Amino acid sequence: MKSQLRQYIQETLLENGAPHAVQDDENLLGSGLVDSVGMMSLVLFIEETFGVAVPPEDVTIEHFLSIDTIATYLEARVAA
Amino acid sequence: MDFSWSDEQRAFRDRVVAFARESLNDDLRTLDAQGAFPRVLWDRCAAFGLLGLAVPEAYSGTPDVDFLTAMLAMEGLGYGCRENGLAFGINAQLWTVQLPLLRFGTNAQKERWLPRLCRGEWIGAHAITEPEAGSDIFNLQTHARRVEGGYVLHGAKCLVSFAPIADLALIFATLDPALGKWGITAFVVEKGTPGFHAGPVQEKMGLRTVPIGAFTFDDCFVPDENRIGPEGAGVSISTHSLEWERCCILASQLGAMERQLETAIAFARERKQFGQAIGKFQSVAHRITDMKLRLETARLLLYKVAWLKQNNKSAMLEAALLKLYISESFVASGLDAIRVHGGRGYLTENEVERDLRDAIGGLLYAGTSDIQRNIIARLLGL
Ligand SMILES: Cc1cc2nc3c(=O)[nH]c(=O)nc-3n(C[C@H](O)[C@H](O)[C@H](O)COP(=O)(O)OP(=O)(O)OC[C@H]3O[C@@H](n4cnc5c(N)ncnc54)[C@H](O)[C@@H]3O)c2cc1C
Repeated sequence: MKSQLRQYIQETLLENGAPHAVQDDENLLGSGLVDSVGMMSLVLFIEETFGVAVPPEDVTIEHFLSIDTIATYLEARVAA
Repeated sequence: MDFSWSDEQRAFRDRVVAFARESLNDDLRTLDAQGAFPRVLWDRCAAFGLLGLAVPEAYSGTPDVDFLTAMLAMEGLGYGCRENGLAFGINAQLWTVQLPLLRFGTNAQKERWLPRLCRGEWIGAHAITEPEAGSDIFNLQTHARRVEGGYVLHGAKCLVSFAPIADLALIFATLDPALGKWGITAFVVEKGTPGFHAGPVQEKMGLRTVPIGAFTFDDCFVPDENRIGPEGAGVSISTHSLEWERCCILASQLGAMERQLETAIAFARERKQFGQAIGKFQSVAHRITDMKLRLETARLLLYKVAWLKQNNKSAMLEAALLKLYISESFVASGLDAIRVHGGRGYLTENEVERDLRDAIGGLLYAGTSDIQRNIIARLLGL
């Protein structure tokens, strides 16, 4: 799961397209690495790839701060 | 993909058109000249059930209508009602106030606010724009400080439709500017709340019957129960409602473009110069052909987006394309309609020029055309 997220973020979302190895615990939001259009695209990617619906109210810094927190959130959603 | 409408949907649209023609076209030039909010017409729309569209009967008190039918009804409203401000105002409340409350509100919040909005008793505003945060919307500065039992708001909003007369406002504020856009949270603030002030009506080019103005929040306390969704979900709530807004708010403009086209055709057949109807001059006929082409291409985009939303599919790209295309088309066709009517089209009394003035706002609200192009380019991977 994390590797798919990392690959998508790295290849599709990084704002300036500059080569950048995203770390699993790296802050995607505060640093502005992923903007709001990017976040919508990421949510769509997650829904299509992992078959998990992500309600808009769940798209918060708590769940989407880093690849680690997204993975934890998705695992909880799948288990629920 | 099936865009065809059922007999019930078509019948509903026809009822809306008939109602709008009969009940919503009183004294429009005076309303426009005075910039007056037509409360009587608003109440008629509420009584007809237009303000309850897309809200379940439990809250609206009117029979449930699915989203596609609601959008078709809004198209019918734009076609039958020549007062574009009224159609814009109804759409603004439906999609940018009621829909977010319905989607993100608790049961208690929905019970408190939706019935009053749907009955037309209360008017709702959606306030996100600020003096320093227009297109850069998530750079907003209005601050919400957490305190015992709620939040204290401080800041200002501008260019808000209905602000001067709103009974409640859905507003966005940041809990912590250091969190950037991820601190943004949504709240409802009711008129009369201490520290919450609405500014006067500001005159504007078109859509004059929808009063526009500013809000200020001066140490304004809002209780916890007025927060919409979780803390920090404001960006997501706003993005979600902006996408719906882009899909829906211009449906009435499509209806208005159809009305405008019919008026232009009728005039071009009737008006004679050089011994023949002006519609026989190829340049006039081609201008009207372009109006028809814009109408039909806009219609296809609108129905496609409606279909995507109805089927719970993502419409990020299509919503931006639609918003850009319909708003630009309405302006282009508004100008063409004036050219077809010649000097008569320029006179206010003939109600042709008002459509153009009303259309310009569409290039700006819910994200300017530049911003729509930016979103589209971004989603194309550019
Ligand atoms: C009729 C009307 C009704 C409205 N109703 C509401 C409402 O109910 N609630 C609410 O909150 N707001 C409302 N607004 C405000 C509206 O959303 C803003 O006017 C709009 O987002 C643009 O912001 P701005 O006016 O500050 O312009 P700016 O953002 O200052 O833009 C000025 C110019 O710069 C361009 N520009 C800015 N950034 C970029 C960029 N990154 N790339 C390319 N070009 C760029 C813009 O396209 C524009 O041409 C309304 C506006 C109008 C006209």
